[in-house]
Amino acid sequence: MNAPLLTQDQKDALQEIANIGMGQAGASIAKVLDEFVQLSIPRVLFVPPEEIPVALALTIGEGQVSSVRQAFHGSMRGEALLVYGDQRCNDLADLMGYDGKLDHASELELLLDVSNVLAGACLGEIAKQLGMTIGFSAPSLMADAVPLESLLQAEALPWKTALLVEVNFRLEQRSFACHLVMLMPENEVAALAAALDRFLESF
Amino acid sequence: MDAGSVEHLLHFVVDRLEVGILAVDTEMRVVLWNRFMAMHSGKPPEQVIGRNLFECFPELPQKWLEKKIRNVFLLRNYAFTSWEQRPYLFRFHHNRPITGGVDAMQQSCTFLPVKGDGDEVEHVCINVFDYTDTALYQHKLMAAIGELESEREEQKRLIKRLEEAQNQLLQSEKLASIGQLAAGVAHEINNPIGFVNSNLGALDRYVQDLLRLADAYGVAEDALAARPPEFQAVAQLKQQIEFDFLREDICSLIKESRDGLDRVKKIVQDLKDFSRVDSSQEWQWTDLNKCLESTLNVATNEIKHKAEVIKDFGALPEIECLPSQINQVFLNLLVNAAQAITGRGTITLASGHDGDWVWIAIADSGCGIAPEQIKRIFDPFYTTKPVGQGTGLGLSVSYNIVAKHGGRIEVDSLLGKGTTFRVWLPLRHETNEAVDASK
Ligand SMILES: Nc1ncnc2c1ncn2[C@@H]1O[C@H](COP(=O)(O)OP(=O)(O)O)[C@@H](O)[C@H]1O
Ligand SMILES: [Mg+2]
Repeated sequence: MNAPLLTQDQKDALQEIANIGMGQAGASIAKVLDEFVQLSIPRVLFVPPEEIPVALALTIGEGQVSSVRQAFHGSMRGEALLVYGDQRCNDLADLMGYDGKLDHASELELLLDVSNVLAGACLGEIAKQLGMTIGFSAPSLMADAVPLESLLQAEALPWKTALLVEVNFRLEQRSFACHLVMLMPENEVAALAAALDRFLESF
Repeated sequence: MDAGSVEHLLHFVVDRLEVGILAVDTEMRVVLWNRFMAMHSGKPPEQVIGRNLFECFPELPQKWLEKKIRNVFLLRNYAFTSWEQRPYLFRFHHNRPITGGVDAMQQSCTFLPVKGDGDEVEHVCINVFDYTDTALYQHKLMAAIGELESEREEQKRLIKRLEEAQNQLLQSEKLASIGQLAAGVAHEINNPIGFVNSNLGALDRYVQDLLRLADAYGVAEDALAARPPEFQAVAQLKQQIEFDFLREDICSLIKESRDGLDRVKKIVQDLKDFSRVDSSQEWQWTDLNKCLESTLNVATNEIKHKAEVIKDFGALPEIECLPSQINQVFLNLLVNAAQAITGRGTITLASGHDGDWVWIAIADSGCGIAPEQIKRIFDPFYTTKPVGQGTGLGLSVSYNIVAKHGGRIEVDSLLGKGTTFRVWLPLRHETNEAVDASK
């Protein structure tokens, strides 16, 4: 995929920022979950939205997915998309203060809650590294256990470009995988590019 | 405006806003409690401010909520709850006159990190939004969608029924035209049969005459004292053609042919009776034994390789009925009886007369019907037979015909042993029904 929106330098800077940001995010998430969190080195790439399912399939594999969307706004505007596999994040229930067996509503609430934590930490850290401030709207459920192909079918249309920041989270005892996708309109990518330039100049 | 009045304004707005606003410090002590919260909880600020939130509201899910608030302190980030997953945080009454199944104010909440002078979060501010109207609306919407969906299901079912009924209609249309055709053919056959029959009668007489002539010659021959040599040739010929056998056989051949012709006539008559193109919808005085006989003849092909037919007819008075329709009933029952038999069995036909009623019984030694199925066999489209064999309409049509006659059908069945259908019909039918039925 050609991404003329960012230069190679800017992309490198973004990868660097994502690396630092994820380190910070991992530390805060560990505080929240009271457990050591391992984060993979984030894979940063631009793809057109229609290719997101293909890109995700490479790491999630086939099968049912659930996803949550959350809008962010401020000096950078867009939507964060969190995609989970079959097990969603049910393994984290007790760490988030839930007791006993989860009913469907609590399962979804947990999914929204964990998504809020992850998106907040990761995007918040990236914004902070870039000297930007962003706020978040309430997360909402986008897909409740649907086949991967049907994800994003009608949804992605307004977005020209998706910045895919793919991170795997792993906890010592439990494992769950989650994929974070940032969706931004073209003009917002321009704002991101400007911020990356400022970041590069500061060295 | 000076700073003081701005602060006053801000204070006023926060207090009066139609949104619940509260804030807690890191010890979960309440530091802000606006009027909305006070009004709905019934606890004024002086009862709450400075106290631990969970002491003031022991019914709150402490473990989960405290974790949630602590995460906001830790992550310095927003958190949310939604009424869709968690209907409320604080159990407040709502003042909607029609509750629509919602018993408490539906709430979505936002948790804001409030930073102090440094970067540390010192307070978490919780905004409680009233979503009851949205929730009620959503409930109604879901109910409407559910209704629409079940209506659509029902529609699909009906369309399927309709298709089946249409197929059935086509099928019976086809049968009707075959019946008409058969009646026409029967009529056509009647003509040649008529003249073949009368020719055969004449032939019979002529042969008898010729034989008498031959006999007379024989007598004359015997009377001659000396036989001319030509008689030698006659004697030889007689032997050659086996004359004695011939004169016996020729009579039985003619007799058999006339019997055969009678049978053809009978079958043709039955076909005509059965299809009744001439007088199909007329109430007629009819002998049901004859009806059953002629239907049996029509159906004989279906039956003869399945079952031996035993007849045990009683004498019946004629009854007033629509013969072609009664024939239809008998045909359905006979075909069902034959289809119920696997291998070979027997079908027993009986009839009788009791006061103002006559009955016809058709009993088979077939598979029988389970007791729980018996109440369904008269339902239209109920069939246990494979496609092509069963339409599930035979008994429902029969039921309607018999009901139109003011009669009834009784079923007696033993699983694995056999089934008896008994059709009861009144001698006379009510006149007002005749008006209906002849339409
Ligand atoms: N004589 C019988 N013996 C056993 N089962 C019968 C008999 N007559 C009817 N049934 C049952 O009743 C069902 C309905 O019969 P009917 O309305 O004539 O439809 P169809 O013969 O096309 O199936 C049959 O499929 C069969 O299961
Ligand atoms: Mg039948």
